[in-house]
Amino acid sequence: MKNKNENSLLTKKDIDKAAWSYIFFAQATQNFERMMGLAFCHVVEPILKKLYKDNPEEYKRALQRHMQYYNTEPQLGALIPGITIAMEEARAKGEDVSEELIVNTKNALMGPFAGIGDSMVVGTYSPILLSIAMSMCMNDGNPVGPLFFCVVWLVTIVAMQWYLFHKGYSMGIDAANLFFKNKSLADKITTGLTMMGLIVIGGVASTTVSAKIAYQFVSGDMVIGIQEQIFDKIMPGVLPLILTLVVWYLLDKKKWSATKIILAIVVFSAVMVALGIM
Amino acid sequence: MTLFQAILIGLFAYLGSKRTPWFFGVAGGWNMIGRPLVAGLIIGIILGDVRSGVIAGAMVQALFIGQITPGGAMPADVNWAAYIGIPLALAAGGTGEQAVALAVPLSMLGLGLFNFIMTINAYFAHMGDKAAAKGDGAGIHKATYLAAVPSFILRGGSAMLICYLGTPLAEFLINSMPEIVLHFFEVAGKLLPALGFAMLLKQSLAKQWMIVLFLLGWVMIGATSMSVTALAVFATAVALVFVMAQGETKVVAAPAANTSAEEEDDCYEE
Repeated sequence: MKNKNENSLLTKKDIDKAAWSYIFFAQATQNFERMMGLAFCHVVEPILKKLYKDNPEEYKRALQRHMQYYNTEPQLGALIPGITIAMEEARAKGEDVSEELIVNTKNALMGPFAGIGDSMVVGTYSPILLSIAMSMCMNDGNPVGPLFFCVVWLVTIVAMQWYLFHKGYSMGIDAANLFFKNKSLADKITTGLTMMGLIVIGGVASTTVSAKIAYQFVSGDMVIGIQEQIFDKIMPGVLPLILTLVVWYLLDKKKWSATKIILAIVVFSAVMVALGIM
Repeated sequence: MTLFQAILIGLFAYLGSKRTPWFFGVAGGWNMIGRPLVAGLIIGIILGDVRSGVIAGAMVQALFIGQITPGGAMPADVNWAAYIGIPLALAAGGTGEQAVALAVPLSMLGLGLFNFIMTINAYFAHMGDKAAAKGDGAGIHKATYLAAVPSFILRGGSAMLICYLGTPLAEFLINSMPEIVLHFFEVAGKLLPALGFAMLLKQSLAKQWMIVLFLLGWVMIGATSMSVTALAVFATAVALVFVMAQGETKVVAAPAANTSAEEEDDCYEE
């Protein structure tokens, strides 16, 4: 850690404790009015108490400024409380860090981190792991699938939060600049992960979504199983692929809501079953 | 389902809901225990049928794989879908298709509970405000811990009660269904996951041409006997080749920016 300078007011132990507190409690008090506000204050309170132990008025104001509305993706956003603690420490040391700067920094960072965190951590990394895990157990119910997901997800995400929290503290506001300045690197990671995710998810979708035509064409002695003799000849799984793409088209291009699509699938299935086609 | 089993399911439903700190916070709770895939294993163990539990979990998971919850706005309640849909289907002797069929309406009904908890929990933020105004740090912690109580009662309690009381009804429904209705659930249960993947596609497609990657993955698994783990390795290679071919110069610039920023230690000038 870089913060081992002699005039540091906080010890490594203080930061470790706050990092654990953040990992466990970040989302614990979520509500519509403040979102993660109360939990944020809960995480930084022991730090504030130590920094402002000789100044009760400042301590009170610090508690109040961290009770404000705060909302981001908590896992990638672990950098932000680290940065905040570094700024509070600088303020307690008498450096020129205003209350507004601290609050504004938090507010400026939470949006971008929510965007990147939601799309990368929750929207891409988690589905990739879930897809691989699902493919391990979809057919035979092998418990290795969910266990694989639990171990890989938990280890990587907790380690990432721990690293980001400490990085945020040791680099202070530079950590955020580093994050945004290296836009080309961030873009590369995003593109790479998205591409990898799309291939893997396509693979798992093919084993999950299924649609089989039960209807058989009968003419005299000739029986043609539409599924076996036509669709499987074109490509196994071509029908569910077309249906998945249709659903995507309706959702993305025609702006149908998820509820409307669920209803459409239910009606479609009912009609197909009633007609004896599927 | 015995009362004890229902209580255990309620407990895990709470541990997998959004506001639980107990197991590595949001990473271990909502994003892990709360995933239908993991719920399927847990419920399978509790009900004594791991195989069916895991399969049902994977099928319900497919339905919700494209769901992210930006800013706490939830399109559907995964918690009820997983912790009520799967146990009810299993306890009634059903399979993954029935779990999916139950999960869909439950995920919509559960949304009401989600919004209710998100609303009443603002009470604890006000409790925290009062503590902060008095400079009372212990009061902040107390408000944070107390905020777990409504979640515990409502999340755990609702899953436990509906699982326990709903089992006979679900049993009756599944057993008295005519063959054609059961077949309908089978067909719909296997088609509904298309929505999950379509949602994921909608949010992941940065550029339109990337849809080919989805098609590539589909064809590779659908037409060959390749495992998804092998496909993941292949996909990583494809992504790396693409990213690397995009331009080497940018990669060189990145570490340079890294070191220069690290040299400045405590600068908050801006």
